[in-house]
Amino acid sequence: MAAYIIRRLVWTVPVVLLVILMTFLLMKQIEGNPFRQTERAVPAAVQANLERKFSLDRPWYVQYANYVKGVATGDLGPSLVLRDRTVNDIVKEQFPRSVELGLLAFGWAVLLGVPAGVLAALKPNSRFDYGSMLFSNVGFALPNFLVATLLIYFVSVKWGLLPTSGWTTWQHKILPSFTLGLVPMAYFARLVRGTMLETLQQDYVRTAKAKGLRWRRVVTVHVLRNSLIPVVTAAAPLLGYIITGSFIVENIFAVPGIGRYYVTAVSARDYSVVMGLTVLLSVIVIVANLVVDILYGILDPRTQEARG
Amino acid sequence: MSATQIAGRMAGVDAGAPIRQSSLWQDAWRRYLRNRGAVAAGAVFLLLVVWCLVAPLVSPHDPNEVDFASAYQGPSWSHPFGTDQFGRDLFTRAALGGRISIGIGFGATLAILGIGVVYGAISGFVGGKLDNALMRFLDALYGLPYLPFAILALAIVGTVDFWTMVVALSIASWFITARVVRGQIIILKENDYVRAAKAVGVRWYAILGRHLLPNTLGVLVITIFLELPGVILGEAFLSFLGLGINPPDASWGSMAQDGRDSYRAHPHIIIIPSLAIATLVLCANFIADGLRDALDPRTKET
Amino acid sequence: MRLRVRVLLAAALVVAVAVVAAGCGGGGDTKGAAGDAGPAKNQVLRMAWGAEPPSLDPGLATDTTSSNVLLNIMDPLVRLGPDLQPVPALAESWDVDGKVVTFHLRDDGRWTNGDPVTARDFEYSWKRTLDPKLAADYAYQLYGIVGAEAYNNAKPAQAAALRDKVGVKAVDDRTLRVTLTSAQPWFVQQAAHHSFLAVHQPTVEQYGAKWTEPQNIVTNGPFELAGWKHDASITLVKNADWRNAGKVALDRVEGRIIVDGTTRVQAFEAGEVDALDGGGLPPADMPRLKQLPEYEKYPALGTYYYGFNLKNIPDVNQRRAMAFAIDRQSIIDNVAQADQIPASGMVPKGMPGFETIEQHFLPPRADLEKAKQFMARADDPKQKITLFYNDAPGHKEIAVAVQAMWKELGIDTTIKAQEFAQYLEFLGPPPNNAVDMYRLGWIADYGDPMNFLELWTSKSGNNNSNFASPAYDRLIEKARNTPDDEQRYELYRQAEAMLTGPNGALPIAPIYWYTYTNLERESVKDTFQINPLDQFDLSKVVIKEA
Repeated sequence: MAAYIIRRLVWTVPVVLLVILMTFLLMKQIEGNPFRQTERAVPAAVQANLERKFSLDRPWYVQYANYVKGVATGDLGPSLVLRDRTVNDIVKEQFPRSVELGLLAFGWAVLLGVPAGVLAALKPNSRFDYGSMLFSNVGFALPNFLVATLLIYFVSVKWGLLPTSGWTTWQHKILPSFTLGLVPMAYFARLVRGTMLETLQQDYVRTAKAKGLRWRRVVTVHVLRNSLIPVVTAAAPLLGYIITGSFIVENIFAVPGIGRYYVTAVSARDYSVVMGLTVLLSVIVIVANLVVDILYGILDPRTQEARG
Repeated sequence: MSATQIAGRMAGVDAGAPIRQSSLWQDAWRRYLRNRGAVAAGAVFLLLVVWCLVAPLVSPHDPNEVDFASAYQGPSWSHPFGTDQFGRDLFTRAALGGRISIGIGFGATLAILGIGVVYGAISGFVGGKLDNALMRFLDALYGLPYLPFAILALAIVGTVDFWTMVVALSIASWFITARVVRGQIIILKENDYVRAAKAVGVRWYAILGRHLLPNTLGVLVITIFLELPGVILGEAFLSFLGLGINPPDASWGSMAQDGRDSYRAHPHIIIIPSLAIATLVLCANFIADGLRDALDPRTKET
Repeated sequence: MRLRVRVLLAAALVVAVAVVAAGCGGGGDTKGAAGDAGPAKNQVLRMAWGAEPPSLDPGLATDTTSSNVLLNIMDPLVRLGPDLQPVPALAESWDVDGKVVTFHLRDDGRWTNGDPVTARDFEYSWKRTLDPKLAADYAYQLYGIVGAEAYNNAKPAQAAALRDKVGVKAVDDRTLRVTLTSAQPWFVQQAAHHSFLAVHQPTVEQYGAKWTEPQNIVTNGPFELAGWKHDASITLVKNADWRNAGKVALDRVEGRIIVDGTTRVQAFEAGEVDALDGGGLPPADMPRLKQLPEYEKYPALGTYYYGFNLKNIPDVNQRRAMAFAIDRQSIIDNVAQADQIPASGMVPKGMPGFETIEQHFLPPRADLEKAKQFMARADDPKQKITLFYNDAPGHKEIAVAVQAMWKELGIDTTIKAQEFAQYLEFLGPPPNNAVDMYRLGWIADYGDPMNFLELWTSKSGNNNSNFASPAYDRLIEKARNTPDDEQRYELYRQAEAMLTGPNGALPIAPIYWYTYTNLERESVKDTFQINPLDQFDLSKVVIKEA
């Protein structure tokens, strides 16, 4: 196990470097000028001053080397567009909000999705089963900008129950996290239901039941435990979904996280912010993958090597 | 269901000799037909595709004709889906949008499969150090969100059209598929007939092409329908973020986005394309479930 | 398997219910009518800002949001009156003597730390903005001052020497003398722009790039920056020590940053904010919003136009035909929908001198008959053209409408979108040969037609049309040196005629002159006003008793 973890850790370094290089080169391919945000033409002198200030007049490999050096020392550089702030400022101030949004969404998913799946599996073909599967199918299929727009309209504008947007009190956080949590919720419900049904049919469960063991104990000790393994595995792809979804949810609900700023930064050609955020997101995903794989190994030692 | 899990299950499929293939597919088909949900989903899916293909051909309305006098009409007999802000018939336009959305969906899915198969097949077939390197790399990338890279890719090409959208949606979405294919190849490689073929000196590309890849077909077919919803929704996300396909083309995603601002006064403009997306995604999910059950004889229906 | 079928059907049903529910939405918003009530006790204005200010440093800010925050926390030398003429603010008077403008400052301007505001602060600030090391985007706003451009262009070695040659000098604490490169009659107006605000030298030097954070910033205007949560909120509180604080009614302005247009409208309709910042309402929702009692519109100094590439569409008759085929009024009524004004020229209505300058050639309604006549006269007209626009909201819809209008002339238009940051570079100059037509707009920096007409000189960085006329350049240069308004307007008239008059070259087909649209609670509607340069003065806002 330790060897496995070390091997994985060692591999993380070149992958991160490669992700940085790829993003960097991609960014360089994008045409456009971060210093021209209005119709007004930028005089050559102003452009030259700006490029000098942000070292954009250096050759690309020098810029790359400096950037990697910066990342290594934890300095992601200044924002080219938000002139009063550095990328570190942006991450420090806005990233925790995105994390909070993601965790809350994940919380909704675990809180509602897992029990829904368990109950549905214990009473297959019941009304509850239909209801929860119906809900999760719809939650999965509707574009989240439609869901968000309708939720704000009904819950906030029409019924006045919750604030429309923003991220200050707990009331503000309900709708955005719920919207973002819908897909993971649906995913968990279906996943848990499926694996539960399968586990319930396993011989050892049947034997346990036949032997007269208390049913509740069988479910909690054997069935649920085995059924939760796929939930852990699913966490990594879901993280990817949550990041993707946060781009839209933060936009619509005016959540001051980093997801919504990513899109703005790309269209504004704010190279350093795009670089910083991409590297940050990639590192998070890579680390999350690592943690999940290790957890998976602990939960189910048999499968460790099968994962290649 | 996660793709990896399916891979695991599929590993149990009789990866048997090519002779048995036709009957394997016939069995699967019979099993699929017994699954009424999947059949219904398949029928709706086909209907949707047929509608997208046929409706614009038979429609009396020019999908691009601007006529402000008939703008913002609700559904009626002559305009079953109503009209948009330019008085264009949404029945026809939604069908055209469907061609683009479904086209992008399949295009990107096939691209994902293409890259995944090449990567996975090389990794699985060659094995050894190369396999190790390629897999460690995948381990790290696995789960990387595709959206940032799609946004970057679209920004690079500048103008968004059908093909750029396909590229953007597939560029960072193939990691799972690659892993699945590799898993399949590794298992198949150990089969007796493959060993035998190797022993009698059959060239590697013949083994790969004739014995290994055809037997991964089942997984790939499932993967198509597993990836499709994500790609279709991804296209809608990008449209929402202002990176939608350029006019005169429109996709369901860009049509829904166009309708969002007027959702209060004219909800049908956002609802109809969103509904189309939802239907397609639901169908794809059910078809994928059905296919998995059909191609994996071990799972019994509930 | 029955389960699956049912789930599928039921899923479809749920979606259908959602549709019906959404369709039945609307209504139910009842608003109490505001009478002639007195000021409310609680003078807290809740408003929505349309963007995170990229910078609250007057030297670095370039956008409307930053500009509006700055103009409410800082004290400019002059403000613009209703007719866009400068009115005294921190400068109680000024003298203009040819190329020399002298501002006389009041003696009661105070920084929030108690320091007096002096002419030296302005000299420091303007030179700081021109400093090549600061690399200010809008440094060129000051290029009308002698030596400014040279200093901004300076190599590090010569910078110090060139700095002293910049024509801005604090003669004493209360006298600021500015020497211009030519007599620029609009210069005093231009001083109302946020690029001409003063910054507090010790604060800037102490905190560097972080001086604009609320805990560091020192300002001198009617409001103080009490809080700035990035991307979330901006809170202003009344500056009780401001020279005219007695006249300021608002105690606090609680601003939320909401970028998405639909969400902004929803926040307003849910009663969470009392006013938006005029940053534009979603065009597609305009017909509904215009019915609301809180809807407000203001004339703007701005022109929305389609530019021609004269190299690709060389025949003026084809350009005339295309310009005549555009139904401007229909675009406004059906697409843009914000009560804009059909544009007949580059210089927008409301600009000083407009009555003299206006050409009456291009009609508000399409004149297809005339258009076809022009088209018939065109020599080898280009039948397939490519139209570019940037992908901000609203432009696509106008392009689709114009595409349909040009179809009447037998012109097949391909529409292509690009992101803004890339779009401008793509267009040029030098003008891009791949572009036949392009969309752009121009919003005034100051209230003189020069700001619009100088775009079409042959050396202009905004001229992507291949229109290059020495005669036009001479007219503009002459106007630059003509202080007399009437004489200058006559020169502008001639210039405008060369663009959009009956014998003009038509490098552009103007579409409409902008308006600003906004939602404002009736309690503040009377006093919350947006001027034609998109600025609002919160010190004048009073919340009435509802």
